[in-house]
Amino acid sequence: MIALLTGMLSTAVLAGGVLALAALGEVLAERVGVTNLGVEGLMSLGAVIAIITVVATPNPWLGLLAATMAGAAGGMVFAFATVIVRANQVLCGLAITFLGLGLSASIGHDYAGVPSPATFGRVPVPGLSSLPIIGPAFFGQNLPIYLIYLLLPALAHWVMFHTRHGLAMRAVGENPAAADAAGLPVTALRFWYVTLGAGLAGAAGGYLTLTYVPVWSEGLVAGRGWIALALVIFAGYRPFGATLSGLLFGLITALSFVGQARNWPIAPAFLNMLPYLGTIAFIIVPVVVWHRMRRIMAAPAALGVPYHRDVR
Amino acid sequence: MAGSLQRQPTVTPARRLAWRAGAVVTALAITTLFLALSGRDPRLLADLVVRSTVGSRFGLEDLALFLTPLLLTGAAVTVTGRIGVWNIGAEGQFYAGAIGATAIGLFLPGPAWLVLPLMAASGIACGMGWILVPALARAYAGVNEIITTLLLNFVAGLLTTYLAVGPWHDRVTGALASTGRLPVRIPEIWGVVHWGFPIALVIVLALAWLTTRTRWGYQITIGGANEQAARYAGIPVRARILGVMLLSGGLAALAGVFEVAGTVHRLQGGLANNFGYFGIVVAVLARGSCLNVLPAALLMAFILNAGIVLQTQQLTGSAVLAITGLVLFMIAIADELAHYQPVTVRPATVAPVTVGKEARP
Repeated sequence: MIALLTGMLSTAVLAGGVLALAALGEVLAERVGVTNLGVEGLMSLGAVIAIITVVATPNPWLGLLAATMAGAAGGMVFAFATVIVRANQVLCGLAITFLGLGLSASIGHDYAGVPSPATFGRVPVPGLSSLPIIGPAFFGQNLPIYLIYLLLPALAHWVMFHTRHGLAMRAVGENPAAADAAGLPVTALRFWYVTLGAGLAGAAGGYLTLTYVPVWSEGLVAGRGWIALALVIFAGYRPFGATLSGLLFGLITALSFVGQARNWPIAPAFLNMLPYLGTIAFIIVPVVVWHRMRRIMAAPAALGVPYHRDVR
Repeated sequence: MAGSLQRQPTVTPARRLAWRAGAVVTALAITTLFLALSGRDPRLLADLVVRSTVGSRFGLEDLALFLTPLLLTGAAVTVTGRIGVWNIGAEGQFYAGAIGATAIGLFLPGPAWLVLPLMAASGIACGMGWILVPALARAYAGVNEIITTLLLNFVAGLLTTYLAVGPWHDRVTGALASTGRLPVRIPEIWGVVHWGFPIALVIVLALAWLTTRTRWGYQITIGGANEQAARYAGIPVRARILGVMLLSGGLAALAGVFEVAGTVHRLQGGLANNFGYFGIVVAVLARGSCLNVLPAALLMAFILNAGIVLQTQQLTGSAVLAITGLVLFMIAIADELAHYQPVTVRPATVAPVTVGKEARP
């Protein structure tokens, strides 16, 4: 039982890390008022670029860096279309998803089934990692896990809610016209935060193939990008909310693994549906049950609306 | 600022069409460039594509087979778009329809004239059931339908594979990951083209009439244009959103019914072949008009058919997905750029009092 719980929690932290990273990226983009529906494609691109990089140079950090750059490059293309040209965000997001999925499958064709030659190894924290149950899960993981669960969300939270720059960033997402009138660079803020968010989506894809599923195959991302998008809503557009909801969904994923390992009398297909059904339940139930949630978890007011200075 | 570009609130159809044609040509040019850079002869490929799509009888038959589901999924996404809702879950509803049809086809013996309509009814009911929760959540609690409808696609895909590999698995021929061959099939009318094709055409035309010529269609359009105003005018917007989304689910499901009963004859994983997602592209091209779904679906069917040819030339099937993404991306940009027109501003004496915000014809 202890071994089972330990294993489950370890899987949850790993699986949740992928979602948490992608969701954190999307929080950044949506806080400046841009919905990037391309997360799924950007993650796919990051996943394949990470594998290709570590096949060439067996260094997982280089792989993660390359995945981040690939995501950011895709994000710049998206940001050019949606922030500078101000084209429809839903369309461009879907287009980036199609492009990312198609491109990654095309360039990853020769790498399908090749196991990642280098992955992030476990780096146990002395002492803490031998704690029962939570030790191996939280202190016996690879290094990027601390980046994902602590450093990045803490940094994003501090910048977003405790600095002048963060105020500017949120203002651009709430009321770009007012922000513009106050002299804030609306276009630049939107462009760079969308790019940064997309970079994190690419990194999430790279993290997926460098730790959790260390082999490339088409359709590998399997909707994790879309789950991450839903988590942003569930997280109330907050960095630590994204991290925690990522962990929660990691737990649901781990539950389906446990079910398969222990031969629960449920077909694996149904256990595999759990993360998707869970996500749907988690974005519907809170709004239905508790109406105040709508205000607490409200989206940035200008989310999805392109900003034209000359049109009111 | 004389002679500068100014964003116009409205765009004439001709102007938009010109920009979009430019977008499609640009996307295809980029694709050709990529193909040429990867060492393939674009002229040879183009020749192959034309010969195997519009240049031969088999090509035309394939085109019609691609067109059938695209007309229906395209219409499914278009009707929800009219009330301002995105149904990104046509892929899942397609699977639900195929599952519902297969359940009847496999387990209800009887004459084709009786079983086929029952298959369609069951499939449509399943598709509507598949979108019911997202539709209720969107209509009555304002929950983002893009994510809920989309996530159900993965559930539907898993369910289909489970049924095809598990309980409904073909035990006669031992075909891998597929159900047995359905005992009834939609009759063919021209080569491999079955009755699903003309029925889909008629449905799209009927929807065009329904959405533009009836009271119901008018309420949908107003609800989509301004929800508050529509509610103030006494239009039951929530009920309309629910109704349109159910209709949409039923349409996408019918595409699944036709695919399984007319073209593939077995339920198998990957049956939907991204038709649900390509339906989104068709709807975007059609810009909310059901009549425009016809040419839009034709273009999409042509791209898919061309993709089959590219696959014989050592390109993965996913290259088609990338090309589609590129086309969609270019069109999104072109749609916005079409708003900008060079204007020559009159002398400053009249400039301050211009009412520049008014819509111009």
